Amino acid sequence: MMHLVTGGSGSGKSAYAEEQILKAPEKRRIYIATMLPFGEEGRLRVQRHRRMRRDKGFETVECYTNLSGLEIPEGCAVLLECVSNLTANEMYQEEGAGEKTFQAVTEGIRSLKKQAGTFVAVTNEVFSDGISYDASTMKYMETLGRINRELVREADRATEVVYGIPVSIKSDSALRGR
Amino acid sequence: MILVMGGAFQGKLRWAKEEYHLREGWIDGETCGMEEIWSCSGISRFHEYIKRALKLGVLTEEEEGDAFVRELYERNPRLVVVTNELGYGIVPIEPFDRLYRERTGRICTGIAAGAREVVRVVCGIGIKLKKAEEEKDD
Repeated sequence: MMHLVTGGSGSGKSAYAEEQILKAPEKRRIYIATMLPFGEEGRLRVQRHRRMRRDKGFETVECYTNLSGLEIPEGCAVLLECVSNLTANEMYQEEGAGEKTFQAVTEGIRSLKKQAGTFVAVTNEVFSDGISYDASTMKYMETLGRINRELVREADRATEVVYGIPVSIKSDSALRGR
Repeated sequence: MILVMGGAFQGKLRWAKEEYHLREGWIDGETCGMEEIWSCSGISRFHEYIKRALKLGVLTEEEEGDAFVRELYERNPRLVVVTNELGYGIVPIEPFDRLYRERTGRICTGIAAGAREVVRVVCGIGIKLKKAEEEKDD
């Protein structure tokens, strides 16, 4: 079961995504961290997320690029956080996929979906500040936009978290029948 | 409390005034005294209030933000908060802008958690994301 969780910055989407994993039937929980901690602020951010996962029994796996090369044990609950960082890494890091970022990220996620039991992927809404950025940033936004659209197709459920409130944007047909 | 949010220029304040029959007692987060928040009926441009607080060097830590939300619930539990929804863009280059965006999000998430209603206004229309179960006079 794949669940895509999206939302703005500071919207509580990480906390919501974790809750979904804690509710999952699988007892083994894997957290796939994608954020390269740049500087002090990055370090604090990583710390904050680590603190949130403390005592929740997550095993942390770091994966900055080439997600499709990642093998995880069968039947785990997997939390991927987050697609927007992974996309930036693939686009901008030397070892990243560059022009083939879209393929690298979407194939990586399909591969995880196959391996995982419950799979929650967190992405980001970065599209609505109305600012025209430089070409490279616009390319990033376009790529992430395409990736998000593809992932919603792939997902059984998709939820936008708005200030901590889950707003369903795609619901599981099995759940709908209940 | 009630939280009304949405993009800029969506008619949030107008919607809130009509929906909650609240004409009086509003303050503007950009111009009000910092203490007025404890006694007003409604605050518009709450994001500007947070920005000013950050510039004064308060609410910069997450724990301070949490404590501020708790105090707001204790001292002014019927407050109507109108705010811009930030955080739907590219991560800003300026550290202050990142802090402002992050703190506003976390504080509003804290308010939303305890709020009786949370409403997102788009094109002047309020969509209730969290709805009071029944209209109570609390």
